[in-house]
Amino acid sequence: MFSYKNKFYKPDSLLKKLLKMDWLLLFLVLIICIIGVGALYSAGNGSLNPWAMNHLYKIILGFLIVLILSQLKIKLIMNFSVALYFFCIFCLIYVIYFGVGDVKRWIDLKYFFFQPSELAKVSIILLLAKFFTTYPNNSKNLLYNIFAILLVLIPGFLIINQPDLGTGSMLILLGFSIIFLNGLSWNIIFSVTLISLISLPIIWQNLLEYQKYRILVFINPELDTLGKGYQIIQSKIAIGSGGLFGKGFLTGSQSRLDFLPEKHTDFVYTLISEEMGFVGSISVLTLYFFINIILVREFLKEENFTNKILIFGVSFLIFLYVIFNIGMVTGLIPVVGAPLPFISNGGTSLITIFIGLGIIQSIRVSRNV
Amino acid sequence: MKNLTLNKNIHRRFFLLTTLKGISFGILSWRLFDLQVIENKKYDKLSKDNQFNFSLVVPERGEIYDRKGRVLAANRDAFSLYIKSSKNLNVEKILGKLSLITNLNEEDISNFKKRYINLNKKNINIFITDNLSQRDISKIAVRLHEFPEINFIMTKKRVYPQGAITSHLIGYTGKLTEKDLKRNKNLINFSNLRIGKYGLEKFFDNKLRGEFGRRREEVNARGKIITSNLYEKPNPGKNLKISVDLNIQSYALSRLQNVETQKIGLNEPETGSVVAMDVNTGEIICCVSSPNFNPNIFTRGIKSKEWKSLIDNKKAPLLNRAVSGLYPPGSTIKMAVALAALESGVISYDNKFFCNGVKEYGDMKFHCWHKYGHGNINLSQAIERSCDVFFYELGLKVGIEKIGLMLNKLGLSSNINLELNELRKGLVPSKKWKLDVKGTRWTPGETINASIGQGYMLSNPIELATMVARIANSEMAIEPTLLLNKTKKFGKLNINKNHLNYIKDAMSNVVNSEFGTAYKSKIRKQNFKMAGKTGTVQVVRITEDEREKGIIKNKDREWKKRDHALFVGYAPLIKPKYSICVIVEHGGSGSTTAAPIARDIMEKLLV
Repeated sequence: MFSYKNKFYKPDSLLKKLLKMDWLLLFLVLIICIIGVGALYSAGNGSLNPWAMNHLYKIILGFLIVLILSQLKIKLIMNFSVALYFFCIFCLIYVIYFGVGDVKRWIDLKYFFFQPSELAKVSIILLLAKFFTTYPNNSKNLLYNIFAILLVLIPGFLIINQPDLGTGSMLILLGFSIIFLNGLSWNIIFSVTLISLISLPIIWQNLLEYQKYRILVFINPELDTLGKGYQIIQSKIAIGSGGLFGKGFLTGSQSRLDFLPEKHTDFVYTLISEEMGFVGSISVLTLYFFINIILVREFLKEENFTNKILIFGVSFLIFLYVIFNIGMVTGLIPVVGAPLPFISNGGTSLITIFIGLGIIQSIRVSRNV
Repeated sequence: MKNLTLNKNIHRRFFLLTTLKGISFGILSWRLFDLQVIENKKYDKLSKDNQFNFSLVVPERGEIYDRKGRVLAANRDAFSLYIKSSKNLNVEKILGKLSLITNLNEEDISNFKKRYINLNKKNINIFITDNLSQRDISKIAVRLHEFPEINFIMTKKRVYPQGAITSHLIGYTGKLTEKDLKRNKNLINFSNLRIGKYGLEKFFDNKLRGEFGRRREEVNARGKIITSNLYEKPNPGKNLKISVDLNIQSYALSRLQNVETQKIGLNEPETGSVVAMDVNTGEIICCVSSPNFNPNIFTRGIKSKEWKSLIDNKKAPLLNRAVSGLYPPGSTIKMAVALAALESGVISYDNKFFCNGVKEYGDMKFHCWHKYGHGNINLSQAIERSCDVFFYELGLKVGIEKIGLMLNKLGLSSNINLELNELRKGLVPSKKWKLDVKGTRWTPGETINASIGQGYMLSNPIELATMVARIANSEMAIEPTLLLNKTKKFGKLNINKNHLNYIKDAMSNVVNSEFGTAYKSKIRKQNFKMAGKTGTVQVVRITEDEREKGIIKNKDREWKKRDHALFVGYAPLIKPKYSICVIVEHGGSGSTTAAPIARDIMEKLLV
């Protein structure tokens, strides 16, 4: 530990710091971002407005955030983890009473809308890293784990309650995966799983018909062809009709004729698949896969426990976004509402992921090679 | 050491989670491959179903021309009025406003309302009417801004430039009905399609109609049409050229309708029919039926009042008398009876019978038209003067069966393949027919009646014209046709030429000998001389009492009870070209009414 402390006294030059950044990772992200601008240009029927230009600005902002965060010591960032967590909790409670939007998810900050649930994802990574570093190696202790789980569940349920099942469950999955990584004992995992499996039929038995139907529709939206099923059916039609090479840029009939809902946010991947075909859709998926491989390499290279947790957390966050989004638009998982990183035209979620990337860069730059 | 185990543990967990990620990426990739490559066809079809609406494009109906290329049925540009359906559309109000500007047909409105109620789609054009004059259209067009829901679509309208002249022959088209769909499985159910309902329009409907094209409309998720273009061109219907000569047709009609005979305050045209036929090809040159109707009223949508007056008219203007009017042929079949007798050898050219004006058979009396009889005459003279008693005797000698066979051979009650659905076969009675239909045995008295073409016997003008054509041709069993016939071969007639020549001479005498019944109607031009046979058909039986009192003259009788006037003939005598059949219903005698008409038309044909 002391060897690291020496580093504080010999700070790297700015150029050296910049060179230490993972430029390959940022290059891959840039490619995906450009694809995103193209897709949004198409979603706007061949126009930079209203989404493509807006997206471009957010990307520039995102890269600036990465640049700034990369210059900060990771320890410095970690110092804010607890404060950030409580700030998020506060905001999540604040939106219940003062939130804007149909489902009260956003805080109106005059110039833009801030969605605390997205920031909570980064904050949970930071907080758990902090918690597991401060109180290490108690993974077999039940109370210790329950406390960690509660740290995850509090913001998780606040978000689900908004209601935003997608973001909430993503946050919970993210938190649990970090707890699992830290070494949650298998005994606890098995017993919890067993209890849930046993109680599941009993709960099902006691549900009313309409509640059962709602759950069934949630699991298989195609039961409800006019409501949620409609989006999924149209999305599958769009993706499937894209074929191997797609219908061509700006010529996707499903999106152009408005059969696709939310084609600029949650269903932007559908638009890419329709217009660029399997070649396009698998390429985008591969780019995300490469990003994950780079982060796996980063994880294995990293020796510091805190940083390991942070790298894993960020990579799993990106992974969850991708799986939730593509799984949803291809009809593999229920419609939960999750944006596609770097491509969907969303505000806070985009910035959240860039903050994550900034943390990764900060770890790299802070590292003593 | 502790740190090491911790690291080992975390790496094991990390490996597990990374594997999970890899599997997830694999599943997503497979899903994309499955949707986009394996199931592509299915989704491509669904996408196209989403994207496009197809609507039918009506093909242009084929035109009909006479033998010289003059237009008998054609299409004219017209406008159809449509209303675009949407939610909260106040149809009543719009129609009310429209009818303030134009005269909307009540039936069109009620039909439209039916269509509107049965509608289940939104944002589609519903047909209101195509029955608007140019003035109506421009009136609406000027105020179109008041009717955002209304639009026009260019359509074609059937017109018959010759109007009533060719009414029965060409027929008319009408809206497709449920019945039509049941009858013809090949028809596409398209509300605005018009199909042939009568005449040639009906017979050649499939040929004239053509094939539908398709219009493809790109529709967005809210049902709004983005683009619209022709996807499959409609195949226009084939044009039809028929054998009729419009000049002759129109002349024949006016000549028939303007008979100045025994009219008593009847300002209506004569009822009857004229058929003229080429004796070598069977081509029908004119085919006239009176009274007639204007087929154009069916195009503009016949009003129920008009329809009712057509249907209720006792003279049945919708009936094509040339092919479906069945009349007793009367004396016009005497040639056939004579031929039957000659062929069966019961009589020779010189055999004579004595006519004293009446033939008594059992306790029945059969009168000759000539009250005092024709005296001692042979077969040729009997035809020339149309002696009835002679043929009573002849008929009894030959027998009904042989008369019937000869009549069939000459085309009566035979299966003629004419290009009109309205054709009704005539009736040549036989012993078997009597037993089957009437349930009683044939009597010799009925043979006597049949041998002068009265009694049960019925025939239509086409059959009679065919009969004369076959006699005139002498070689082939000519069949009538309404198409230009260049290739069709006919069967042999198989009647002794000498007999036929003898009969033809007799027919010539009917017109050209001063004792002939149609002598007054002879054609004087040497090369165009006509042969023929008159017929006067009793409509009501004359009782013996009436005969005693003296027969009331035709013109003094009620119109309905007057005789039908018939004439069949051919010309010229050498190398005959045309045969003709004229029937004037209740027109009096064949010689005074029908023969002059035939003469005039024949002159027109030959000159």
